[in-house]
Amino acid sequence: MQAKSLSSLGRDDRTNRQIALLLAIGFLGLAGASGTAFWVQRINEQNSRAVAHTLEVESRINAFNSANERAETARRGYLLAPGAAFRLRMQGAQQLRDDLLERIDEITRDNPAQQERLHDLRQMVIELDTLQDQTISGVVGVRERLAQNFGEDGAVLLTRRIRDKAREMLDEEEHLLTARQEQQDTTIFRFNVLLVLTTVLVVALSAMTLTLIRRNLADLRASRNDLNQLNDELEDLVDLRTEALRRANAEIQRFAYIVSHDLRAPLVNVMGFTAELETAREEIHRFAARLDVDQPGLIDRATRSAIEEDLPEAIGFIRSSTRKMDRLINSILKLSREGRRTLTPEPVDVTALVRGILDSLQHRATEQGTTFTLDPLPALVTDRLGLEQILSNLLENAVKYLRPGVPGEIHVSGHEEAARTVISVRDNGRGIDARDHQRVFELFRRSGPQDQPGEGIGLAHVRALAHRLGGTVDLESTPGTGSTFHLSLPHSWQPGDSHA
Amino acid sequence: MPETHAPLPPGSAPVSIVMIEDDEGHARLILKNIRRAGITNPVHHFLDGTTGLEFLINDARGPARNGPALVLLDLNLPDMSGIDILARLKGTEELRRTPVVVLTTTDDKVEIQRCYDLGCNVYITKPVNYENFADAVRQLGLFLSVIQIPDLDESGIVRGGDSG
Repeated sequence: MQAKSLSSLGRDDRTNRQIALLLAIGFLGLAGASGTAFWVQRINEQNSRAVAHTLEVESRINAFNSANERAETARRGYLLAPGAAFRLRMQGAQQLRDDLLERIDEITRDNPAQQERLHDLRQMVIELDTLQDQTISGVVGVRERLAQNFGEDGAVLLTRRIRDKAREMLDEEEHLLTARQEQQDTTIFRFNVLLVLTTVLVVALSAMTLTLIRRNLADLRASRNDLNQLNDELEDLVDLRTEALRRANAEIQRFAYIVSHDLRAPLVNVMGFTAELETAREEIHRFAARLDVDQPGLIDRATRSAIEEDLPEAIGFIRSSTRKMDRLINSILKLSREGRRTLTPEPVDVTALVRGILDSLQHRATEQGTTFTLDPLPALVTDRLGLEQILSNLLENAVKYLRPGVPGEIHVSGHEEAARTVISVRDNGRGIDARDHQRVFELFRRSGPQDQPGEGIGLAHVRALAHRLGGTVDLESTPGTGSTFHLSLPHSWQPGDSHA
Repeated sequence: MPETHAPLPPGSAPVSIVMIEDDEGHARLILKNIRRAGITNPVHHFLDGTTGLEFLINDARGPARNGPALVLLDLNLPDMSGIDILARLKGTEELRRTPVVVLTTTDDKVEIQRCYDLGCNVYITKPVNYENFADAVRQLGLFLSVIQIPDLDESGIVRGGDSG
């Protein structure tokens, strides 16, 4: 169970790294895609501008062609019917043609091939201009000769060459346009492919991330369930232990009751027949006294010593031992009777209860010079009498086992720990040797010099009662410095199960 | 085993003492103290509840059929609780009025209360302090002399009722 939780934690870490990596790749992909989109947009804009430019160049070349044709047509017209109308028209067309040529020159500066053609074109236009000007210059004979023989007219040839050159330029622009179109198509195609790939990548990454997160969540849920189960098991275990302790305690109480009870019967006999022995000895004693009067010297020393010393001594020891045994048995009986008492929880004002106990000990404390201090204690729901007996015992012990010549200082304090309340009784008395820290809670066991009356019952009683009230009691102590007893009880105790 | 005594003729029968006590030592001490107190009434001793009850209820010399009696009862018996015997006695018409003295080591208040509730007349704790015990048994003599006459009368009436 534990190993499983740990492995799922390890996987958790790895999964987190994987998720981060996948997200990073996804974001990089998206950034790349948007960068590419921006770049493609720029290229498209450039292409559009280039296309517009090409179209303008084409349109200018066409206009130039048209102007050129018009000029030539006007010259021919002049040749056939000389007059100001044709001359002016020709000159207007010439002007327009030259302007267009300038404009084309301006807008094709970036293209050396076109510039070269333009240069050729310009040479031809100058030549043509010369011819056209000659046509209308009014030099006698020129016009007539030209009008009669168009075939020898150089301007016609020149015009045709100009037209061809312009066509060349148009073709070049057309070619450029097609190339740019193709390039644009390629870019868009590549961009689309990239877009599709990026989309696929992002979708795949999202799917993977989602799967990882889902798996991670499932692991977390499993861990949480494991934890809950462990928690439940722990609670069950605690309950089981408490129940076992309680049962063991009840068993001991019952055992103590039966044993002490059955021990009493033979003790009655021992005591009874000891009394009978005593009576018989007195009878013998009286008889010996009579013999001493009637037949002095008959009783030897050994017999006399047996009657007068050995028998009374033996009987005395039997009696004192029997009495001691009777006290012990009574103590066990008392303890087991306490153990069989039904405990009833009720709200207890612990501070007032302790104050009451301290008041009852005050007389003795004043004689000793002992001082009590009491902190406010948390209220409890528990068996009042039981709690009183526990605290009485602890406080009586504190008063009882002080160091001679050291004024006693006994302090009672309390604090809460989760669902439990801890009440501490601290003294500056003679303390308890570490070896005896557990032993003092055992029946008939006492620590240190046996200079105080007692049977060694008190702390055994305290521990048994604390257990019955769902609590524990333990101690800290340094010999020669003092002891602190800690009583830990649930805030609210309920007698979940009845005792024996 | 019961101590055997010669059967006494009906009518003039003195109060017989029926002692149910499993501890022979205790029985011996009780008997000694009874005799020491000058009580000479016949004593029937039984070591367990079954034979004791058998004698009390069915025996020809037993108190149910023959004469008044005083029952000395120990509570801790091997075969049954003295409380059960007490309940049986008080539930039997002929023995209902027979005085019962419970003599036992138990000084448990609840136990004592139960005995009185069931109709026990005197409850004596067997103390380890023997002098007190002896005193208590001797006082039994006083008790016996006090109950003797009314018990005889009552027994007479009961017997009369039985025979009539």
